[in-house]
Amino acid sequence: MAFRDANARRHIGLQQLSSLASPGRTFLGPMKSHKFIVDEITNQSTLICSAVRLIESLDLTSAVGQLLNETIQAQNKEFKTGMSTLLFLVGAWSSAVVECLQQNVPVPAIVSVMSEGLNSCCERVQCLQIPIQDVKKELCSSPVGPKPCESKTGQVGCDGLTNPWNCLCFQRDISATEEVIPVNSCSHQGDDCSFNKFLVSPLAGFGSVPSVVKAVGDRSSSALSVSGGTASSSITRKLTHSRHFSTLGKSHFSSQQDSFQEYLSGPSADVCGCCGLGHLATALSHGNQTSVKLLQSIAAYQQERAECSGSSQINITEIVTCCVLGLPEGYSCVSPGFVTLVSPEQATVLKHFADKPLRILLVDGDLTERYRHLGFNRPCNVRTVLEHPNPQGSSAGDVWLSRMSDILMSFEVNLVLVKGNVCKDLMERCLASRILVIGCVARDVLRAFGAATGAQAVTYLSQVNASCVGNGAWAELWEAGDGRAVDLGELVPARIGAGGLALLTAVLTTALPCKAQLLQDQFWALLCRLRHALKDGTVFPGGGAVELLCLSHIQALTEQPGRPGIDRAVRELPSLWLAEYRSVVLQALANRQSCERASQSLAGRVQIHCAPGTGSGSAREASPCSRPCSPLPCLARRSSCKTSSGLCSVDSVTL
Amino acid sequence: MSRLEAKKPPLFISEPLTGDAVSQSLSLLSGILKSSYGPAGRLKQLHNGVGGCVCTTSQSSALLGHLSISQPVLRVLTASVRNHVSRFSDCGLFTAILCCGFIENFRSLNVAPFTVIKISKHLLSLCTDHLKSEACGCRVSVDFSSVGTLVCLVRSILTSKPACMLNKTEVDHLTSLVLKAFVFTVPCHVETNTVLGKCVTIPVKGRRVVDSTVLPGLLIETPEIQLGKPLAVKRTGSNTIKVALFSVSMSGDGFNPEEGTIVVHHGVSLEVSELNQLLSVGKQLVKDEVGLVVCQKVMHPSLKQYLQENGVIAVDRAGLCLMEPLGRMTGSQPIASIHSLSPGCYGSLKDLCVESFAPKHFLRLIPEDTVFCSLILCNRSETAWDELKRVCETAEHVLQLTVKEPLALLGGGCTETHLASYLRHKSSILPASTFKDLDCSQTQYQLVAEGFCRSLESVARSLSHDGEEILTDMAYGHCWFVPSGSPCVSKWSDLVSKCGCGMNGNTEDLSWRFLQGQSGSPVIQGCPKEPSGKVSDLLTLDCFAAKCSGLQVALETANLILDLSYIIEDQN
Repeated sequence: MAFRDANARRHIGLQQLSSLASPGRTFLGPMKSHKFIVDEITNQSTLICSAVRLIESLDLTSAVGQLLNETIQAQNKEFKTGMSTLLFLVGAWSSAVVECLQQNVPVPAIVSVMSEGLNSCCERVQCLQIPIQDVKKELCSSPVGPKPCESKTGQVGCDGLTNPWNCLCFQRDISATEEVIPVNSCSHQGDDCSFNKFLVSPLAGFGSVPSVVKAVGDRSSSALSVSGGTASSSITRKLTHSRHFSTLGKSHFSSQQDSFQEYLSGPSADVCGCCGLGHLATALSHGNQTSVKLLQSIAAYQQERAECSGSSQINITEIVTCCVLGLPEGYSCVSPGFVTLVSPEQATVLKHFADKPLRILLVDGDLTERYRHLGFNRPCNVRTVLEHPNPQGSSAGDVWLSRMSDILMSFEVNLVLVKGNVCKDLMERCLASRILVIGCVARDVLRAFGAATGAQAVTYLSQVNASCVGNGAWAELWEAGDGRAVDLGELVPARIGAGGLALLTAVLTTALPCKAQLLQDQFWALLCRLRHALKDGTVFPGGGAVELLCLSHIQALTEQPGRPGIDRAVRELPSLWLAEYRSVVLQALANRQSCERASQSLAGRVQIHCAPGTGSGSAREASPCSRPCSPLPCLARRSSCKTSSGLCSVDSVTL
Repeated sequence: MSRLEAKKPPLFISEPLTGDAVSQSLSLLSGILKSSYGPAGRLKQLHNGVGGCVCTTSQSSALLGHLSISQPVLRVLTASVRNHVSRFSDCGLFTAILCCGFIENFRSLNVAPFTVIKISKHLLSLCTDHLKSEACGCRVSVDFSSVGTLVCLVRSILTSKPACMLNKTEVDHLTSLVLKAFVFTVPCHVETNTVLGKCVTIPVKGRRVVDSTVLPGLLIETPEIQLGKPLAVKRTGSNTIKVALFSVSMSGDGFNPEEGTIVVHHGVSLEVSELNQLLSVGKQLVKDEVGLVVCQKVMHPSLKQYLQENGVIAVDRAGLCLMEPLGRMTGSQPIASIHSLSPGCYGSLKDLCVESFAPKHFLRLIPEDTVFCSLILCNRSETAWDELKRVCETAEHVLQLTVKEPLALLGGGCTETHLASYLRHKSSILPASTFKDLDCSQTQYQLVAEGFCRSLESVARSLSHDGEEILTDMAYGHCWFVPSGSPCVSKWSDLVSKCGCGMNGNTEDLSWRFLQGQSGSPVIQGCPKEPSGKVSDLLTLDCFAAKCSGLQVALETANLILDLSYIIEDQN
């Protein structure tokens, strides 16, 4: 058993944490850079573009690695979004804690001040919330942005500070706010004052906010100062490439956005299609136009259904994805029903079905002879004695096969959806008698078909009785958007449906096999973001608005005396003592956040120059805050700080 | 056949406590335990080096359970601490630290172990007598008719383990939940033989702590249940639901012989005959108008299908820990065989409903009058959830112990420093006859008493991490903390705001002094007073029964270890 005291000034766990988090930096914002993870032993590589996949592919034998993994997985399980922010902040704040430790700040002070700062920020940013009705209204009713933001552009450009576009965004948001949105109307008065103080004053000569950034730049590591030079000239121009400026007020910045026009033409043409949900989806897409298109049609389909049933939220259990390789990404679309890949033999059977209504059976297990339900212990010492050898010599397997196909035939089943695997011989026998058997179907799909056709899932075919078989299903080959059937060699997409089936399939097409997983991840991330936004009924402005407000808020906190009664410790720490460390810790909390954000966004921009085709526009910081992102970053931040502040009081015991 | 090896002679270790190895292990163990103690305790990460689950904790049960200790002397110590924890759930670290303190302090005395043991037993009896007397200044009585003291007690337990990662609102929320859950387990009608019910913890990991909730009745997870569909339950004439509870597996593999071989003829299927047996049980259940069948283990899908087609709700995989409460709540006898069904073993329920805590679905069993409830406990990560579960269970256990003996001790180190100052005072005024009875000199008694007091104070000192200074006051003998790196001031009252338990403030001058270190000379002081102040609403409290037992266990274990003269180790 090994014991390790983790209390050294250079806390090894925190250092591990920040180095584990460092590769995740480029996953922030819409301008993500992809990564190839190469397995040294098998030489296989995976293309990834999200924090979850990154953590999955890293070697996490260390204790903090495990903790980080646990935290990221928990966030993923619950929200499916915000993991990159979480990973980033874990890294940033663990470095901040190390910094504090090196300055001999006692651990209780770090924990206490950091949680104070964090809680205070969480409270503070509440005023930035935008109800989603207002997002829709704003985007629909006032498509042309107010003038003041234009007039400031020049000023921003001249100044060439590292983060000026944020101020610009705020200005735009403020003016919009004053016109249309009653931001958090209950506390309107108080909020607006400070809101203006932080957000408007920068425009009158770059007051508080940029000075925070600048102070950071002076003190911080080389990352910011090095790229700062290149940034000043190019960034401000890049700023105008924002999609949102273009959507909202195209005329102002039209000169430099030629290359992005093609992106815009699609969504902006039909955004008003589905009651503003399209706008919200666009705003939450973080630049992923393909997924927006899919989401809009999902919203339209579900809205149509909802008018009958009365629920307005997006139901993700009724959505599945299917990756079709070999078609360009533009062919991605949403098809009602269940789209899956079948073999050419199955496709032949499928063609025979034509328009006939099918009798459908759902199997909630494997369709093999050896399969038994979970929890069944196979007998180990039962011996079978054969007294009179059968001259015909049909084996037990054959008996099973013919019994199974007899059952299917006798109930006139045409289509069998199986949750698990299907025995090859049975599959062939069924194909010969024109029964389509499809394996590896998700439980939610079975459930949806059960609800639509009245079929009841069985575990064994021997359970089948007349009430288990459903009616009225249909099957056909899936056709791409331009009407041509897809025949891409080995596997063919097929579409299975039934009257009243609620299931929708997002068919994700790509010519690059390695991008399949990535596309699915992105699609689900956006879908869940939209779902949460609808559930919460409110969103945060993106583009760093929340972060910047936090920064200036922490700055303000540093100047204020501390509030006593910090939540975590029961024993009150005397304020006199705490005050001594307060500013150091708060500075570290803010510094890390700002300077890494800044350097991250700069790094992102450099990559735009290198690989113009990969991204969809501007770096995250460059998009204005009229683009809302979900309120989740707030939650993510909370748990991440808990991780890092928890770790700073960790002793390590290795067994 | 392998050659026989000659037996190795056993290893004798004489005077085991004098060895360097033992001292080192003892100080390492006591260092680990001391650094974990209290709400500001440092966390320990336990992991096995090849990856997998990490346990982040500062709890004695988790720590001692994970440590593999080779020193026989320390194994005695950890075994008795774990035994104490299994009986009281609380005060494990207190017991362990105090025991280490006793060993360290008594070992260095130049007094025969026999005498030390006799004197320390006398000191312990002074302590317990004082704790049991009305005049004791470090205990408060718990009033079950108001919630105030109970809240303090539960809150102190919840906040004592920082690895739960709770903030203030979460602590408040959980405190009320734990109390609510406890109230649910108290029967409404008190009879002569009253038994408290049970609160079953249901894990929902990954969600926010404030999403936790408590529901009367028991929840069984049912992943297959269809939401939205109304539950059609068969009811008996008296409008109750008949329940059958199976503890035997109904998965259809019951013919599996444990040893020996079964020989069957070709064409005979044991599986089919077993299934037929199960289906005949199903028929009997339907005939007996059973509305709900719960199976601890797995149910054969065909049986499930049969029951459902006949309007019986079938739930399997209820799990072992639900069986006892399920049986007690429904009044049913768990059925252990599928070959005999007696009508007397059925129980009854008032109602059933479906509860959903995304992503999990549960069937909620609602009885007529329940002492069972389910605590749906949420926390963000696996590690923090595990810690939180242990803490909540401790809190529930402590409340049960407090019902028996409605007293609580002051926490935050105040009980320890108070007891120490009481003993110092008391031992200085003992009559000479006491020493004669104990067959020792007054000097010997004073030495042992000083060691005893230091051990108690070392527990209070363990609450300070990162170099906090610890003071005690001469008036009440409470414990006060001054953060490290505090500026020099002329008055202590500028640096301390409240004592460890929160009962006394810095308003009056309490003549603070440093809680003496190892080398300090004892200060003769008066008997500590009972606190004059009212019981405030933010007291830190400890479980009375657990702490009294901890004190006793610590001393008995320490005396046992001090009395060891040989360790005989079998080396084969």
